[in-house]
Order: sequence, then C-alpha cells, then structure tokens
Amino acid sequence: MKILIPLKQVPDSTVRVSVAPDGKSIKAEGITWSISPYDEYAIEMALERKDADPSTVVALVTVGPARSRDALRQALAMGCDEAQVVIVDEPVPPLAVARALAKVIEETKPDLVLCGKQASDDDQGFIGPALAEVLGWPHVATITKAVPGDGSVELWREVEGGHEVWTARLPALATVHKSEKEPRYPSLPGIMKAKKKEILERPFAALGIDTSGPMLEVLSMEPPPARGGGKILKDGDLKQVAEQLATLLRDEAKVL
Amino acid sequence: MKVLVVAERKGTELRRVSLELAAKAKELGETSVVEIGGERYSPLPFVSALAKKVEADAPDLVLLGATLNGRDLGAGLAARLGRAYAADVTDIAASGGSLEITRPMYAGKVRARMRVPLPAVVSVRPGAIPLRDGAPAPQVTKIEADAAAEKLTFAKFAAVASGGKRVSLAEARVVVSGGRGLKGPENWNLVEQLADALGGAVGASRAVTDAGWRPNEEQVGQTGKTVTPDLYVALGISGAIQHLAGMTSSKVIVAVNKDPDADIFKVADYGVVADVFEFVPAFTEAVKKVRAG
Repeated sequence: MKILIPLKQVPDSTVRVSVAPDGKSIKAEGITWSISPYDEYAIEMALERKDADPSTVVALVTVGPARSRDALRQALAMGCDEAQVVIVDEPVPPLAVARALAKVIEETKPDLVLCGKQASDDDQGFIGPALAEVLGWPHVATITKAVPGDGSVELWREVEGGHEVWTARLPALATVHKSEKEPRYPSLPGIMKAKKKEILERPFAALGIDTSGPMLEVLSMEPPPARGGGKILKDGDLKQVAEQLATLLRDEAKVL
Repeated sequence: MKVLVVAERKGTELRRVSLELAAKAKELGETSVVEIGGERYSPLPFVSALAKKVEADAPDLVLLGATLNGRDLGAGLAARLGRAYAADVTDIAASGGSLEITRPMYAGKVRARMRVPLPAVVSVRPGAIPLRDGAPAPQVTKIEADAAAEKLTFAKFAAVASGGKRVSLAEARVVVSGGRGLKGPENWNLVEQLADALGGAVGASRAVTDAGWRPNEEQVGQTGKTVTPDLYVALGISGAIQHLAGMTSSKVIVAVNKDPDADIFKVADYGVVADVFEFVPAFTEAVKKVRAG
C-alpha cells in the first residue's frame, strides 16, 4: 500500500509568534520552522502502518517555499520513503494548491492520502476536503485511526460520545486529528538515511494546472487582546477564599 | 446581501451556533436558513445537496458553524463551487462588495482582519456572536442529503464510556479543565463535581490526555479543541502556550494552581494560589450555595 501525506512547514508550535512592523504578517526573525502538528500525526499514523507491514510506502509532498525542504527532510528522518516539493515563492490561491496536490497524486498513484486536519499557520482546514473534491475521492474528516483492509480502509472518526467508523474503497482520503501514539522522533540512522535521499523538486508553474481561484487578503494582524491584571486570591482561609471567588463570579463577572 | 445559513441540530434542538448565525445573517441582509436532513453527516451527500441549493438560490454568502462537521462541509462546498472560504471566523461585516472578517491564525497567537471576496462560504466559531436570550427561533427549510452521491459505507458507532451525558465541550458555556496537578485519573471526580455544580463540560490539558488519564476528545488546546465559554476554570494546569491557544478567548478565566509563577495566572481574571485538592471541594460547595441563591 502507498500512503501519501501532503504536509506543510509552519512556525513551531512552541515559539512565540509576533506581528511584523508592516502589521500584516508575522516576524520572520526568531521563527523555528517545523512540520505542522496535525501533519506529524498523519505521518505517525502512516508509519505505524509501515511498522506493521514493511511493504508500505510512505510518500510526502509539500507545496511551499524552498525552506520547506527541511520539513520533508525531517519527515524522511522519521522513516518516510520518498518526498517531493513543488516550489512557490508567492502566495497562490488555496484551490490551486489543492489542484497541484491532485496533479502529484495522479502521477504518484497513492492508495490512501492522509492530510493533517489543518495547518497551524492559517488554520483554515481547507486543503484536505478541497483535495478530496478536486480528486472526486471519498473522504472522512478528522480521523484518529486508519485500518487498511482488502481494497478498502476503515476510518475512525471522533465525534461527541464516541467514534463513527466508516469504510472507504481505495483510493480514499482522510484528514487526521490525531494518531494513536505520539509522533516519533527521528532516529540517528533515520537522520543519516534521510540525508542521502533525493527530494524531487519542481516549480509550481511546471505543473501546468489551472492556477485561478479566490484568495483572502490580510488587511491587518494583531496579537489577541491582552489578558491578565486579574485578581489573585492567595491569603486567608480556603473556605473564605472559595466563597469570595464564587461571589465575585456571580456579582462582578456575572457568569454564575 | 443574500445570506444562506446552514443550521445544525443536536438531537431535536438547533445548535446554539445556528441561532447565532441566524441572528448575524439578519444584520447582514436577506436571510434564509436551511438544514440538511440525513442520518449522519457524510461529506459527499451533504456537499452535493447544499451545492444544488446554493446554485439555485445564489446567495452571496453561505454561513456555517465552525463545528466538527461544519468546517468540513464548508471547505468542501467552497472547493466544489470555487467560492472564497474563511474558517473559524469570530467577526464578520459587509464592506462594499466584499466581506471583512476577523479570525484567529497561528493557533490563536495572532488575530487577523481579512478581506473575503464574494461569493463566499464562511464558518463562524461557536460563541463568537452574542445572542440575546429569547431571540426568536429562525424558520428552517429542510433539504435532503444526496444519498446517490455517497461513496462511503458507515460501519458502526463505537461509543466511549466517558462523556455523553455532559454538554459538548466546544459549545459549553462553562468548561472546567484539569491538568497534571490533579496527579491521576482517580482524582477526576474533583473536576467533574465542580463541572456539575457549574453546569459545565469537562476538559483536560494535553499532558493529561497524552498520559491516557482522560480521552483525547476532552483535550483543550492547539492540537485539541478550541473553546470560548463564558467561564473557563483551569485546575492544576500550568498554562503551556499550546493550552493557552485553545482557551484564551474565554470570557472569564479562573485558574487554581499551587505554583504562583504558573503561566496560567497571566491570562486569568481570577487566580487562586492553592492546592487543588484542598481548594476545589470548598469551591464546589461555595458555587452550589451561590447558585442556590
């Protein structure tokens, strides 16, 4: 079975993000770039299949600037088999990104495509469902488990109160909410092997796809409203503090 | 502007977010509210049915709740029709021939104002639009999911033992979350008793769900759920940046932690420096007393 993961390189989730002087973008200085967390879950999910069945091939693709190669290299070091990058230097319509991924999928013919449910930069969650639409493939959103069967795959989706379990004939697509285990760290031999692997690279324009599509325009960015300056209660009898807090929540905050 | 609201139901009741959308849509222009009938959500039958409706009515804007299903349906619909799409929006206004929206980016670390060209599909975060109590229920037209478009087979529903009877986390008006400070799953009765006293949902930090103390679906934060309740109570949670990303838009935040330097206090409106095991039972009693009048 071949599993393809479209991934995106985003600012690492542990770094503080701040607005650049232009007021419309984030400051590039001090950013560490990583694989988007949900894409890491997708990779882990695919690699668990490969652990169980070593004939599984795990392929990667990203549409992004040249620095995205580092994210692919990191995923190869985790144990993925092959990778390619479609280079874009300017923002392109999200629908065109979906078409670019669809083109790569037509060429590489995976059985299963696993997308992170959203990239933690724009947090739109558009690409997965849009890619399924462009391909005309069935998809299941926000899965936590994938169990391949004979010509099909069982996809577990977390909903209120439990899991819906769906069966899709292959090829199929799923967006990933979480893997059963935490994403693995690259091993030292994995890192050495990844260094030798070739990453296929080509410009977006070379794909020959329709690049039209609506785009959103950022007008301004700002940090979320500052919080804090709250009341700290720490002295006195706990029972009195508890009663004081409950009363404040009713009379001052008006949430009780 | 012509607006089509896609309503969702939980059981027999319309979800609160659907009422919020209907109220917002009325401010924006001529509104109709549609609900898609079907046993359970599935992308292709729902996108096909909704796309047909949108092509017939030609609304400038389709509004959905940024719920588990709403976000998937909205993205699929926008792709199918080549419309602009904005997800998890917290504010929306008409501006000339386009929309101006506000939405979080970078896991809530940045708030962006964006221009969205029309026609568009927008999903709106539950709880982001204020709703007057007693606002009239909207008139809802029902359309049927397009069963012929289905390519998936539903196999089964695997229920989890936890949850179910409490309100859903993403839409709850009160959320009580526990962190590593609770020391183990056997102490979750403290969190649950306070949540019950407050009429709220139960959440957890990532450390707790990763350790298997609580199910993943209760995780609040960057790789879990984003919540915007009126009251968020963090018990024994240190306040890692990934956790803060999922709850700092709550209206009022209460934090209880033994460590006075815990980062959670930087976002709290009310902080209590105390041992959760000593403070929470007393607080639960106090809440009951105050709520009883």
